[in-house]
Amino acid sequence: MLWYLVKRIIWMAGTLWVVFTLTWFLMRAVPGGPFDAEKKIPEEIRRNIEARYKLDQPLHVQYLDNLAHVIRLDFGPSFKLLDYPVNRVIAEGFPVSASLGVFAMIFALTLGLTAGVASAIGRRTAYDYGFMALATVGVAVPNFVLASLAIVLFVFYLGWFPAAGWGTLRQIALPAICLGAPFAGYIARLTRTGMLEVLGQDYIRTAYAKGLRHRRVIVRHALRGAILPVVSYLGPAVAAILTGSIVIERIFALPGLGIHFIEAATQRDYTLAMGMVLVYTFLLFVMNTLVDLSYGLIDPRVKLK
Amino acid sequence: MPEPLLRVENLRVEFKTDDGLVQAVNDVSFDLFPGETLGIVGESGSGKSVTNLAIMGLVPRPPGRVVAGRALYHGKDLLQLPERELSDLRGKKIAMIFQDPMTALNPFLTIAEQLTEVTQLHLGYSHQQAISHAITMLEKVGIPGAAQRLWDYPHQFSGGMQQRVMIAMALSCKPDILIADEPTTALDVTIQAQILELLRNLQTELNMSVILITHDLGVVAQVCHRVIVMYAGRIVEEATANSLFADPRHPYTLGLMQSAPRLDHARAERLHAIEGQPPDMTQLPAGCAFAPRCPFAVEESWHQQPPLAGRPGGGRLACFVDITKAPRKAAR
Amino acid sequence: MAHVETKPETQAARSDLPPADRYASLLEEARKLHGVSHMQDAWRRLRRNWAAMASLAFLVLMSVAAVLTPLVPLQSPILQDLENRQFLPPNASSRTLQLTSDGETKTLTQLLAEFRQEIERLEQDARTASPEERVKIQEEIDARYAVEHPYQKFWHQPDWLAWRLTDLRIILFGDWCLPSLCGADALGRDLLARLFWGGRVSLVVGVVATLVSLLIGVSYGATAGFLGGWVDDVMMRIVDVLYSVPFLFVVIFLITILTEETIKTEYLEPYGIDQIMIFYVVIGAIYWLTMARVVRGQVISLKNEQFVDAARVIGAGSFRIIFRHLIPNVMGIVIVYLTLTIPAVMLFESFLSFLGLGISPPDVSWGLLVNEGIQVITPIKIYWWLVLFPSLTLTLTLFALNFFGDGLRDALDPKMKNR
Ligand SMILES: Nc1ncnc2c1ncn2[C@@H]1O[C@H](COP(=O)(O)OP(=O)(O)OP(=O)(O)O)[C@@H](O)[C@H]1O
Ligand SMILES: [Mg+2]
Repeated sequence: MLWYLVKRIIWMAGTLWVVFTLTWFLMRAVPGGPFDAEKKIPEEIRRNIEARYKLDQPLHVQYLDNLAHVIRLDFGPSFKLLDYPVNRVIAEGFPVSASLGVFAMIFALTLGLTAGVASAIGRRTAYDYGFMALATVGVAVPNFVLASLAIVLFVFYLGWFPAAGWGTLRQIALPAICLGAPFAGYIARLTRTGMLEVLGQDYIRTAYAKGLRHRRVIVRHALRGAILPVVSYLGPAVAAILTGSIVIERIFALPGLGIHFIEAATQRDYTLAMGMVLVYTFLLFVMNTLVDLSYGLIDPRVKLK
Repeated sequence: MPEPLLRVENLRVEFKTDDGLVQAVNDVSFDLFPGETLGIVGESGSGKSVTNLAIMGLVPRPPGRVVAGRALYHGKDLLQLPERELSDLRGKKIAMIFQDPMTALNPFLTIAEQLTEVTQLHLGYSHQQAISHAITMLEKVGIPGAAQRLWDYPHQFSGGMQQRVMIAMALSCKPDILIADEPTTALDVTIQAQILELLRNLQTELNMSVILITHDLGVVAQVCHRVIVMYAGRIVEEATANSLFADPRHPYTLGLMQSAPRLDHARAERLHAIEGQPPDMTQLPAGCAFAPRCPFAVEESWHQQPPLAGRPGGGRLACFVDITKAPRKAAR
Repeated sequence: MAHVETKPETQAARSDLPPADRYASLLEEARKLHGVSHMQDAWRRLRRNWAAMASLAFLVLMSVAAVLTPLVPLQSPILQDLENRQFLPPNASSRTLQLTSDGETKTLTQLLAEFRQEIERLEQDARTASPEERVKIQEEIDARYAVEHPYQKFWHQPDWLAWRLTDLRIILFGDWCLPSLCGADALGRDLLARLFWGGRVSLVVGVVATLVSLLIGVSYGATAGFLGGWVDDVMMRIVDVLYSVPFLFVVIFLITILTEETIKTEYLEPYGIDQIMIFYVVIGAIYWLTMARVVRGQVISLKNEQFVDAARVIGAGSFRIIFRHLIPNVMGIVIVYLTLTIPAVMLFESFLSFLGLGISPPDVSWGLLVNEGIQVITPIKIYWWLVLFPSLTLTLTLFALNFFGDGLRDALDPKMKNR
């Protein structure tokens, strides 16, 4: 277990290093890129950047110096925003993105698991068909389309939700639902499949033979096995939620990480973009590790190595 | 004759499958008396498991359906009992253990969790009581270090140990009837003997009736008082174990005995496997289902179902021919 | 997947042949068993799945429509009309292809006639001119085709196929075109036409990028699985590392750099690499990972089977074995993943375009159209058609692709059915 964690951390460090090196060299070496001397950028920023990136030193010194900074979690000054270090942008955006993601995940899990279990139990009933049709819609509709339609319908047409802003639950609800919906659909399908598979297992028959009631068999004996596929899907789901949050933040004008990232990308704020890539890599890794750990908790046969 | 504890009458079970309607159990009737061990033997697919699942109300549905019959236990028809009442009996009065202990135990729960829930449910034990009872049961089925092993997961046990756990679980509430569906098939030969020995001891100790399903005539000879032979969903012969082995009356029973490896016979003697294939359960013939493989079949066998009637030497038999006298022919 | 089952009799019957021939015939048999009958089975099962078949029909229709878009009597997807047609709601009043310049309105056929006259005049000049001048005139003609030809005003850089199809369209329909059934956008452009042209781009991106990913994934996976040993270990480790990189962000980063003005003009465009092409490669380069894993798994399980030994005995080299024998056998699973990758890629394209990082105007794609629709929504006025129609086409297509992919998987792997 400890060994597993150590290994994961080493892996993560390696991956982060690869990503850093890749982006750094791209950014640094590309002609016409951000460090091209002919670029017209405001004088103050140029001075900041020159000081920070030691542009007068040889390349490998620059690289090592930069790496040292990044290891100390200092991503340097922004390229476009005056006196606004990348760290601050991240610190301000992160809570917004994190709460959006967490709410979306909670929504997806609650709805997906309930619908999946209900479908599996009432297999081939109207419920089942209804839920699964809905789930398929949820999976196939891109979340920006969903969000767009939701805005047209619920915000502008019906006026149930505020158009923008951040802070109250009412403001979070619609973006989180739009972000979580495809995952809810996918989780519902996975749960249903997993449940049907488990319900056909011998140990479920044993549980019934013991005289346990239906509900108890489902909750205590079947559920754990049924959600295993869902748990292993959570890793990719987290990655996809990170991705999805970008559009959702943009559509709902939420001041999260994603929107900064897109701004950084469209305005060619390389330092900011690089910081973001590293943060996202880190997040993804942490989430994947957590998922693996919980897998080990649910299934006693799994030994983390 | 004592009152039977369980009386099964005209049981009929069907499965709807892609290939058609499978008549898995066809007009099966039998009695189970207190304290006896009743063996049920037959080839794979002959309906042994389904018969007993039907008694427990565990036929998977869909695709299965109990279409007719009664299963009387203390004056109540188990097949008509509402699910709630039936589940009160399951595990408490009628318990069941299955063929493959590796898959029959829940891999996600500790042995303790799986053992205690039965007694907590049926006997209203507190958690503490249930735990100590579980330890007693595990010791009874011969698991060393029961108090510690209780907290292990099934995959940490060997197959034989898992089956012991299953037995402990099934017997936790001291049931009247234990249905053991091929309890030893998945185990090594030496372990098999131990498990059978264990079952026999526990049966006398708890004074329960056991239905023992098996392929293995050797097992039947060892532990059963009475034997039912099933073929293609029907009972073809029923007799006391002694009578059946000494004097098999149905050609199928005879075939089974000749195909069973016997330790007391010389190796050189060639085993007679029964020739031909088991019938297609979706299209059973009008006559005796065994006729196509039967060396004794007469014209009647092909057209008419032989009735299950009195058997010379006691018991029941479904055959038109007296095989002790009839000439043996090559199977058609 | 079905396994090769060579019946003992057939093997016995052939045992008198010399080994190499015997293996060759075995190989032939294996291929037949694997390929044809299995595919036919799958097709039979697929045909019974009405949802999948309906999706297939829809997709075929969609692809045909995408290819033949220039033939459809649509309005111009790029002509703007801010005065009369801005935010025009869906309507059914019929239209002609026409262009207003200097207060004078001419139909496309008129413009074409004028253009042709001018070209003819030039050609006439050419006939009497000296050789040097002739070259010059020819150059001018070419330049006119490339810039002044009326098509260039109605459509954005039509390719060769589009050009021919448009010719045909003019012959068939003349100047008549479909009404603005889906309304018009903020610049007065016809949405229906833009949907069709956008679909063309979206589908092409989906298919081409998927093919790129297929090429990389299958060769990578098959190579790793087939060579095995440490090569396999290293190759799969690389895949593992790549899996834990949040690709979207790296891709956006890459695209940002690659579309930097200097790089674009100095390093890419001289080689004829435009943004869409970068797009294909970049997207294809992300989606090959899963494909590589799946193919590797399949190859490993297949490679121990008889027919590979057979191929080896008759002296086929490694590469030959990979490309002639193994790949045809993993085709089934690959096709399934293909149908599931296409929607993923299309989704990704629309996603990037939506963010303004993908297809950029004047090219159109569905994601871009949705984005345009969203941009012009205000609390006061909702131009619902600008959101609804692009969303609907995109969603329906993704839907159909998903359904078809699922159906195909069920058909190829019947064990998964009823789930
Ligand atoms: N869930 C099911 N779905 C469809 N058919 C079934 C199902 N369970 C049993 N059957 C059919 O019922 C018939 C009897 O099966 P059963 O399990 O009772 O045989 P068995 O005598 O116990 O065989 P074995 O010795 O292999 O356990 C078989 O033909 C089988 O195909
Ligand atoms: Mg059985």
